[in-house]
Amino acid sequence: MSKRRPYVRPMAGWWRKNPFFIEYMIHEGTALFVAAYALVLLAGLVCLALGEAAWNGWLGAMKHPLVILFHLVTLAMIAYHSWTWFKIMPKTMPPVVIGGKRLSAAMITGGGLAAVALASLLALGLFWGMTR
Amino acid sequence: MAEKTITIKVLRYNPEQDQAPVFQAYQVPFSDDMSVLQALLFIKDELDETLSFRWSCRMAICGSCGMMINGNPKLSCKTFLRDIYPETVRVEALNHFPIERDLVVVMDDFIDKLERIQPYIIPAAPRSLAQGEYLQTPAQLEKYEQFSSCINCLLCYAACPQYGLNPEFIGPGALALLHRYNADSRDGASAQRMELVAAEEGVFNCTAVGYCSEVCPKHVDPANAVNQNKTTAAGNYFMSFLKPRGTSK
Amino acid sequence: MEIFKADVVIVGAGGAGLRAAIAVAEAEPGLTVALVSKVYPMRSHTVAAEGGSAGVAQAHDSFEHHFNDTVSGGDWLCEQDVVEYFVSQCPEEMVQLEHWGCPWSRKPDGHVNVRAFGGMKIERTWFAADKTGFHMLHTLFQTSIKYPSIKRFDEHFCTELIVEDGRAQGVVVIGIASGEFTLIEAGAVVFATGGAGRVFRENTNGGIVTGDGMALAYRHGVPLRDMEFVQYHPTCMPGTGLLFTEACRGEGGFLLNKDGYRYLQDYGLGPAEPVPRNKAMELGPRDRLSQAFWHEQQKGRTIEGPHGSVVHLDLRHLGEQKLRERLPQIYELAEEFLGVDPAKTPIPVRPAVHYTMGGVLVDGRCAAPLPGLYAAGECSSVGIHGANRLGSNSLAELCVFGKVAGIEAARFARSVAPGNAATLRKQAEASEQKARAIVTKSDGSERIATLRKEMAETMERGCGIYRLGDSMQATCDKLDELRQRYKNIGIEDKSSVWNSNWLMAIELGFQLDVAQAMAYSALSRKESRGAHQRLDGFETRDDENYLKHTLAHFDGDGRPRIDYGPVRITKSQPAVRAYGAAGEKAEKEAKHG
Repeated sequence: MSKRRPYVRPMAGWWRKNPFFIEYMIHEGTALFVAAYALVLLAGLVCLALGEAAWNGWLGAMKHPLVILFHLVTLAMIAYHSWTWFKIMPKTMPPVVIGGKRLSAAMITGGGLAAVALASLLALGLFWGMTR
Repeated sequence: MAEKTITIKVLRYNPEQDQAPVFQAYQVPFSDDMSVLQALLFIKDELDETLSFRWSCRMAICGSCGMMINGNPKLSCKTFLRDIYPETVRVEALNHFPIERDLVVVMDDFIDKLERIQPYIIPAAPRSLAQGEYLQTPAQLEKYEQFSSCINCLLCYAACPQYGLNPEFIGPGALALLHRYNADSRDGASAQRMELVAAEEGVFNCTAVGYCSEVCPKHVDPANAVNQNKTTAAGNYFMSFLKPRGTSK
Repeated sequence: MEIFKADVVIVGAGGAGLRAAIAVAEAEPGLTVALVSKVYPMRSHTVAAEGGSAGVAQAHDSFEHHFNDTVSGGDWLCEQDVVEYFVSQCPEEMVQLEHWGCPWSRKPDGHVNVRAFGGMKIERTWFAADKTGFHMLHTLFQTSIKYPSIKRFDEHFCTELIVEDGRAQGVVVIGIASGEFTLIEAGAVVFATGGAGRVFRENTNGGIVTGDGMALAYRHGVPLRDMEFVQYHPTCMPGTGLLFTEACRGEGGFLLNKDGYRYLQDYGLGPAEPVPRNKAMELGPRDRLSQAFWHEQQKGRTIEGPHGSVVHLDLRHLGEQKLRERLPQIYELAEEFLGVDPAKTPIPVRPAVHYTMGGVLVDGRCAAPLPGLYAAGECSSVGIHGANRLGSNSLAELCVFGKVAGIEAARFARSVAPGNAATLRKQAEASEQKARAIVTKSDGSERIATLRKEMAETMERGCGIYRLGDSMQATCDKLDELRQRYKNIGIEDKSSVWNSNWLMAIELGFQLDVAQAMAYSALSRKESRGAHQRLDGFETRDDENYLKHTLAHFDGDGRPRIDYGPVRITKSQPAVRAYGAAGEKAEKEAKHG
């Protein structure tokens, strides 16, 4: 009779055991803020459709200090999400070959982050232009 | 002056004596160029003959000596004491695999998965030996070469929480090898292999944690192989609606 | 005891064993192949071969050139008919590997590329960057999965060869995970267990390279041939002995002494040109390069390091880009293990034991004198390496002779009737008792680690690059003593599951037998040839008395009995073995003379 008795270790709490997994879980967690912000925008859209009063009510709600705080926190969370998302991006795509040379992971991450920064600046500029 | 020493704590498990694994500490002489593997060999030769672990080539190519070192999956032959000293070195069997004994894990599951991915050329256009080699340009070679560098050390499996949570998942290493054959210009069986890619146990278990690629000692980047195949599998799924009935497969 | 009935059992699943298994499966799909390996096949030491595998590939090359390089490289101690067959089969086997998916490095036009190698007149070394053995092994292993008739016994340790009725009829194995025994019955047995370099202290070999198959065949009366010829590879990592491939020099690397001088030009290997020409300087054969190191050390022109004297392997002039492309593994080994960036700093190297030229005596069709037993690869002596193997011939050998061994074993298995199950079982049970006694015995006082160290030290002292009668005699005496002490070993580990203490004790028994065959063979050869160089009055080659193969016969507890067998010479008569300018001159004269 075989004396083998392989021992299976439990998985409970796996994500707390390695800084890489903690970062991963925070990354996944910040996605909730992305969703929450989308819901806020969606609510705004619905209010706009309901008429001027609803729209103004929504605008007013947006000025509440707690809502502003929510937006600041969300901004930070989305920034973190983007940062960690672009960090993983090179692992998710086929090799990009430009001029016979393979684009490095750092270039892809940097390119993604630059695109985010540029888009944010454009949106900010547009908003700036509209409100002046 | 007394000789410098370093503490090595090893997770021991003997199924014939122990209910569960327990750490045992050893004092090992420290030198600058010693690897963790050399420390384990010192223990085996001089302190405790009963310690079991796999090893062979000592140069990071045979893939035998993967283990958790201070919580991270590493090849013990190329993890050096100098990078840990004076901290304690904590050595455990690779995560996510059953422990057979001490630092030895049961790896039947990986072998089974390797056998399932059809890890061999199924030629697109069969060729006789007399016809000589297939032509393959350096650019075509580069498409799969990285994925062919997998030494089957299983560090990526120990780094993959999804595999730990669901051992049905084919997992990073075997999927990288699957991709290696699909990406080879000589092979013509990617449609066959894509069935496994898209299956329940296939690529969609991956949530892009990415740690598998971080720990890979051979820069295989299995996460890349898995995620490229997510795109392909998803593409195939949607394309299947566009094809007339009866011609798909 | 479990019993498994196979047609062919192959012990060892490195390059040769896998190639043999595939050969059986392709030739005779109806035969069951049991493929036994004490590790998972992809861990086998073929994995560590770096530089490449030989096979004529260019229009201006020929089988004759490959033949001549191999025979002169082996200092004419080769079986020339076997070499002729070997060189003619290499290209096809390399193409076969290509068809199976081996990622050979390519030229821009898509054809396979070849590189220069030591002792080879024309570039004919096929390579997959500097991980050729790794890629060949994984290609063969993964391809073997395709064949349902191959039943693998991974992590099964072979303890005994079963001989009954005057023929090999199977093996006994321990399942490492369970500690349980299985008798594998078979019509034919193939040994492909690799070399025995671990009997030396500083070596390039993996922990598993312990001469198991050599010892098992030897104990059953099969002679070990030419065991005194042990190859020192000239460029290894000080201390650990890890290998820096000959391809470093094939790609243009230099060897420098402490004055930055390319010292090989002082040892008949010049002229020193900026790009070493083939068969000259850094592209000389391994025995000559290791010997040159020894002389430099005697002259005090080496560099003292923490692990002994070193010289410098200088790759700086090749540039980082070429090094990363052609020698990526070497780059990483230097960086990670030594903290040296080879594009900026020369790598310290010294010779270490690398390869066992001798092995189980087999004929050109891999058949041992014991009917039903075949051997291929480093564990065998099929006769192609002679007194010194040329780099890249051994990977090709795995394929060419792995295939032959498989086909011949299959043919033999077809021709014999199954043995008497009861007698086979009785033998197997006796063997199990013997192996288990190592664990159950409680009064042993000798530690295996101590014996192993003493063995490795005495082998290095007596059977090194240069040898002396007195020190070889001392080594022989020491090995006699160690074999006696081995009977009194005791091990701490008494368990069944994954008891590596037990397996290492059995391996040590194999190693001591093989080491003894090496030392006595060396002591008896009173000349200098290839890797066997003496400094005690036998400094030259003596064709009159020693153009013959050494055969070491097992004699139980006693010393091996040494006798000799003829060398088959067909078309290359022994001549002066010269390299560099002298070699080219000799070749021209031979052509016109």
